[in-house]
Amino acid sequence: MTIETKDEMAARFERDVMPFLDSLYGAALRMTRNPADAEDLVQETTLKAFSAFDSFTEGTNLRAWLFRILTNSYINQYRKKQRQPFQTSADELTDGELNEVGEHLGLRSAEAEALDHLADAEIVDALAALPDDFRMAVYLADVEGFAYKEIAEIMDTPVGTVMSRLSRGRKLLRELLREYAAERGFVAQEVGS
Amino acid sequence: MSCGNHHDVPCVEVLALMWVYIDGEIDDGHRVEVTVHLQECPPCAEHFTAEQIVQARIRRCCTEAATPEDVRARIVSQIQASLHSN
Repeated sequence: MTIETKDEMAARFERDVMPFLDSLYGAALRMTRNPADAEDLVQETTLKAFSAFDSFTEGTNLRAWLFRILTNSYINQYRKKQRQPFQTSADELTDGELNEVGEHLGLRSAEAEALDHLADAEIVDALAALPDDFRMAVYLADVEGFAYKEIAEIMDTPVGTVMSRLSRGRKLLRELLREYAAERGFVAQEVGS
Repeated sequence: MSCGNHHDVPCVEVLALMWVYIDGEIDDGHRVEVTVHLQECPPCAEHFTAEQIVQARIRRCCTEAATPEDVRARIVSQIQASLHSN
């Protein structure tokens, strides 16, 4: 096995990592909720990734590895900086709550249609209004399309916790969207209640 | 919430499996059960479709983001600088 020079590693980094830059920046924007912090976060993430790149095993999941660095950096730096009260998510769902999710989460097509009248910016606002852990789980699953196991690695948490964050995050997001739709007068007829 | 008809797998169980089904995280046995149920239960099928419509909308709205050119340039030059710093 030949030893890679620093220049060769830099070339490999540019070839393999830089195509993910927009995706990392998009995630940074949704996490930090403002462009200035997103720029700092994505910059910090790529530099950390570069200095750790020799420890990355080629052929393994590069995208998940990068998102893990991004998520860790966000949690360590920006969450503190934003001086938000620590948002607990009381992760574990009880069976009762799981059933409740099944009972009440379901949207009707008329309601989905009402939500479809909302402006793009309102959808973005609703996502931004979710507590951190829920927002990150929903973003990673619904926007980035990561598998539960990948999200578990990225957020450094068990798969069961990912599922409960997703379940609650999606439920809360739909409640917010319903509220926005109601405020805007796009209210779907409730059926049978 | 139930359509009132008899199903091998009750609506409440199918709805509890909705997200693992939509996310493609369900095991094969359950996937077949849910698929069969959705074919014979229009209210559950409507819920699944409505959720997928909302999910697709969220994906579309929250995806767009091009890294500003100056940020991209700064990152590239910092990597170059770190190469020659030691």
